[in-house]
Amino acid sequence: MHRDSTIHHALEHLFRHESGRLVSILTRVFGPHNLGLAEDVVQDTLLEAMNSWKIRGIPRDAPAWLFTVARNKALDLIRKEKRHRDIVSVQSHLLESEYTLAPAVDELMKSRSIQDDQLSMMFTCCHPSLSAESQVALVLKTLCGFSVAEIAKAFISTPDTIEKRLYRAKEKFRQEKIAFEIPGENELDARLENVLLAIYLLFNEGYNSTDHEDLIRKDLLEESLRLGELLLQNAVTRKPPVYALLALFCFNSARSKARIDNQGNILLLKDQDRNLWDRSLISSGEQWLDKSAEGELFSAYHFEAAISREHLVAKSYDQTNWELILYYYDLLLRARPSPVVALNRAVVIGEMKGPAAGLEAIEKIPGIDGLQNYYLFHAIIGEFYAKLGNREQANEYFAKAKELTSSEKEKQLLVSKMQKE
Amino acid sequence: MEKFMLIFHGPGSATQSPEQMEENMGKWMAWIDKLNKEERYVSGEPLLPGGKLVKGADKKVTDGPYTEGKEVVGGFFIINAKDLAEAANVAKECPDFEQGGTVQVRQVMKMDM
Repeated sequence: MHRDSTIHHALEHLFRHESGRLVSILTRVFGPHNLGLAEDVVQDTLLEAMNSWKIRGIPRDAPAWLFTVARNKALDLIRKEKRHRDIVSVQSHLLESEYTLAPAVDELMKSRSIQDDQLSMMFTCCHPSLSAESQVALVLKTLCGFSVAEIAKAFISTPDTIEKRLYRAKEKFRQEKIAFEIPGENELDARLENVLLAIYLLFNEGYNSTDHEDLIRKDLLEESLRLGELLLQNAVTRKPPVYALLALFCFNSARSKARIDNQGNILLLKDQDRNLWDRSLISSGEQWLDKSAEGELFSAYHFEAAISREHLVAKSYDQTNWELILYYYDLLLRARPSPVVALNRAVVIGEMKGPAAGLEAIEKIPGIDGLQNYYLFHAIIGEFYAKLGNREQANEYFAKAKELTSSEKEKQLLVSKMQKE
Repeated sequence: MEKFMLIFHGPGSATQSPEQMEENMGKWMAWIDKLNKEERYVSGEPLLPGGKLVKGADKKVTDGPYTEGKEVVGGFFIINAKDLAEAANVAKECPDFEQGGTVQVRQVMKMDM
């Protein structure tokens, strides 16, 4: 069916984002232990909106319309379950009487800015008592309005697995009293780290997966940018690492068009057409990176962004400033000691000093055993052997890498490497 | 031209994601657009779920007629069409069939015979 593009544009993720806004407000009203209740109210609200708007058109102030419907549904719920004392986060005698109930609920729903509610929601979803996987799933579900099926698709997982993760997270909310708030000064930096990591994982999932349906991939990138920008809207969370993370997103996204050729095959950095890199994203990244330097807090994201930027400013692959990149990797390794970072650093050493030095650097990686199931570990070693002219060893490693990746595109790339003579 | 009422039932499932709801809504609005351009669309109203049923000599009021599921009437259109067959063809363009929706097509009776 013909789809009117202007209509579609007006709607661009309205439901998703309104869902995130309303779930956040209602979670504050009901408390995180009633997250499921907040989600039900919002689902009902959106369903009612859809059924009415599809026939009558979208009202001019759609968010206000949705807010009012959600507020009325919340009011009904509180009225119906007044005796269940734990339905509202803040206990107030005003909720006890029918005369004061409606104004009291209005007060509860309005009392803070929308951004603050969504930020509090972010900190709640990324509470350290939850696993990183649960945190990311929860962020997508509550703040980005993804369904369980959509989250499963985004993470190449099954709805069952995602459902379990979300269930466990909600169980935690029920058992532990987790406050719905932006943490205070003394724990803000540590908690912000959790939030940034979840957004970072979200972005990587969208960025690294080459087999995904393009739409889901694009949605994840957009959502991670949106959440990052949300953190910048409040002075309390407007911290240097947030700027650095956004810079990193822009720099990495800038290359995404050049990463795939016309046939949908993966192109490595050295084979990419640098004219296809997105200049406007690069300049946004530059601006965020400048901002990220205002302050004393340097995070791993600063160094990652600096590395990504360094690749972008090189006129050609041969003109890459490997020495500076190595310097950033050393800093990154100090900020976030991880075998994966060390592996990437070994690639840089290989570029600077040749494949033998690269292999040597790999052998020295602390915690190298943790990389055995990582396909890139084998692919990179294979690459070094290939450069040394050792085809037999190279193909052995490429084959191992092929076994470990689930991506068809990656498999194709590895097969083409094995066939090179 | 005759007038016909398209009565939309269901789909009544609450499992759609916000994105799917938005997509569905976009399809409906595009459909109405198309019907407008073809000068078929006369009017339409959505109906809230729930409602009351008044019945019998004692005018007993109960909840209903249908309160959930596929039977619920979600709304209606009045459209112009040549005959019932053409109206039924228009009804086939409704975006809700995949989600289990149904459309009842009824001719509006003319009083000026």
